[in-house]
Amino acid sequence: MDRKQFLSSALLSAVSIPAFAKQSNDVDEDGSILPLIPKYLKAGDTIGITAPAGYITPEEIQSAVMKMESWGYKIQVGDTIGKKDFTFGGTDDERRADFQHMLDDPKIKAIMCARGGYGVVRVIDKINWTKFKTKPKWIIGFSDVTVFHSHLNRNFGIASVHSKMCNSFPDDWSKAEPIQIETIESIQKVLSGEKMKYETIPNINNRNGTGEGALVGGNLKLIETMAGTSSDLKTQGKILFVEDTGEYMYSVDRMFWNLKRTGKLSGLKGLIVGGFKIKKDEDTEDFGKTLEEIVLEKVRGYSYPVCFDFPVGHQRNNFALKCGIKHRLNISNEGVILKEI
Amino acid sequence: MSKIPPYLQPGDTIGIVCPAGYMPTEKAQTCINTLLLWGYKVKTGRTLGSNSQNYFSGTDEERLNDFQQMLDDNDIKAILCARGGYGITRIIDKINFKKFRKDPKWIIGFSDVTVLHSHIYSNYEIPTLHAPMAAAFNDGGAENEFVLSLKAVLQGKEIKYSCDGHEYNREGKAEGDLVGGNLALLAHLVGSDSDIKTKNRILFIEDVGEYLYNIDRMLCQLKRSGKLSKLAGLIVGGFTDNKDTERPFGQTAYEIIKEAVKEYDYPVCFGFPVSHEKENLALKVGVQYRLKVNRYEALLAE
Repeated sequence: MDRKQFLSSALLSAVSIPAFAKQSNDVDEDGSILPLIPKYLKAGDTIGITAPAGYITPEEIQSAVMKMESWGYKIQVGDTIGKKDFTFGGTDDERRADFQHMLDDPKIKAIMCARGGYGVVRVIDKINWTKFKTKPKWIIGFSDVTVFHSHLNRNFGIASVHSKMCNSFPDDWSKAEPIQIETIESIQKVLSGEKMKYETIPNINNRNGTGEGALVGGNLKLIETMAGTSSDLKTQGKILFVEDTGEYMYSVDRMFWNLKRTGKLSGLKGLIVGGFKIKKDEDTEDFGKTLEEIVLEKVRGYSYPVCFDFPVGHQRNNFALKCGIKHRLNISNEGVILKEI
Repeated sequence: MSKIPPYLQPGDTIGIVCPAGYMPTEKAQTCINTLLLWGYKVKTGRTLGSNSQNYFSGTDEERLNDFQQMLDDNDIKAILCARGGYGITRIIDKINFKKFRKDPKWIIGFSDVTVLHSHIYSNYEIPTLHAPMAAAFNDGGAENEFVLSLKAVLQGKEIKYSCDGHEYNREGKAEGDLVGGNLALLAHLVGSDSDIKTKNRILFIEDVGEYLYNIDRMLCQLKRSGKLSKLAGLIVGGFTDNKDTERPFGQTAYEIIKEAVKEYDYPVCFGFPVSHEKENLALKVGVQYRLKVNRYEALLAE
């Protein structure tokens, strides 16, 4: 955020709100904006579950409800769970109203999006953030929920959680792989306020180095389609993570060009490339470049660290990440460490 | 005021290049023969029928050089992109338009070539030509009205098109520079140096093989980035071979578009012959047109 712009908006808000409400971001000693961090959850707090995009049945969220209750939280299931309007979890108005209700209900301390799909962008401009801005709460999810992450970071500097959603909680925990259990437990760790630290093995294509900055990112396609809008992600001075699924290689290349050509790669402190499930082209023409080559050619002119195969994406090893919060990324021949600081 | 490239005279040379995907020369042969028949000379670039072994017609550098050479060659009066595919985004920022700006020439194509249309108009206000490419000449295509519309434009004939009405048409009249092309590329360019300008302009869009939800998402992007609110008019071309998700989206492409612009009051015409199919009339991007739409027909005239 532009510092000047920030100062003037902070000044404005100081007039309109009671002095005890902490509404605006603080500025640390080097002048950078500190994120607004929602209160971490304690036992007995309530998590709301809503479907702002694709539809989901009550049965499909059952496992998540039980698991999160076992963590000591209460669960409030929104009206959109079980609603269906074609591909959506209810009409635009129903999805907006359910989300708005959870946003404004002081009892609800975190909102977990039940699943992604498509639909958040259809309602985002109709959401009223006034109450949420004075009392931020955690918004949780990934994929289509990237729209929320980007919008919150861009407009309010409010932190959010990029993680698995209800539809990724296994029905039968006894058959779940350790990585599934571990990734879902990472959500609890984030919500309870634990400082997060992830380590992963080196990739030969990684570019070594260390960078510090707020962690931002999500689904690459969604970051691309928010360009030019009021939810457009600002990446200057930040660590960016991206992941995607079901895209052709040419499309992945085009999206990284979009990042570059919209100025999102030039001022980074680090780039984290998560999982990319590439769709095979029907006419078997070889694109001629690997994902690593596609990424590295875009960032050749910059010197920040870059890593591949980070455990985030449409995959089992998709760990919870705190968007908007300062992290240190350290990439060396020994491996990758992403640590909240 | 835009600087219109000179129309072609008999004996002028048209250069043919592949700035994106690969194309074997034989697939462009009918196009070449037809252009000769129309009275032009043809110069093929190295990227047509190249020995590339992958998706592209050559490396970025080869494609860039071929295009740049055609752009700077005084003898070449128009550049026809033989096919689209994907690849112009990769070289657009390296193309030097200095000479072209002084001595503009027609750049012809659609689909991936939308990147050139949008970039050139937004930055230099020089018109380009959204029109059929080499493959459209094959299988008897060289005789059809759509390929012939390219001939008429190159000759500098005044353009006047009409098409059948559509039940979704919104009646009205509009005047403005014509801009547009492939929706996926227009969306992809938002926020970049090649970003399309739409205010007080007539926008045309078309696309092929997209998921319906993605068409909706792209329209949301155009709308949220302010590209749809101040249009003079909207021309909706073909949205063909759409794909749907397992759980149906519930609206057709045209219903999605109709809904996206329902709050505005400019004229909108559906089913205009601009598309990835045979129906693809030559349109001058960046030239002023008049659009007249009613339920029974739509007229587009320069």
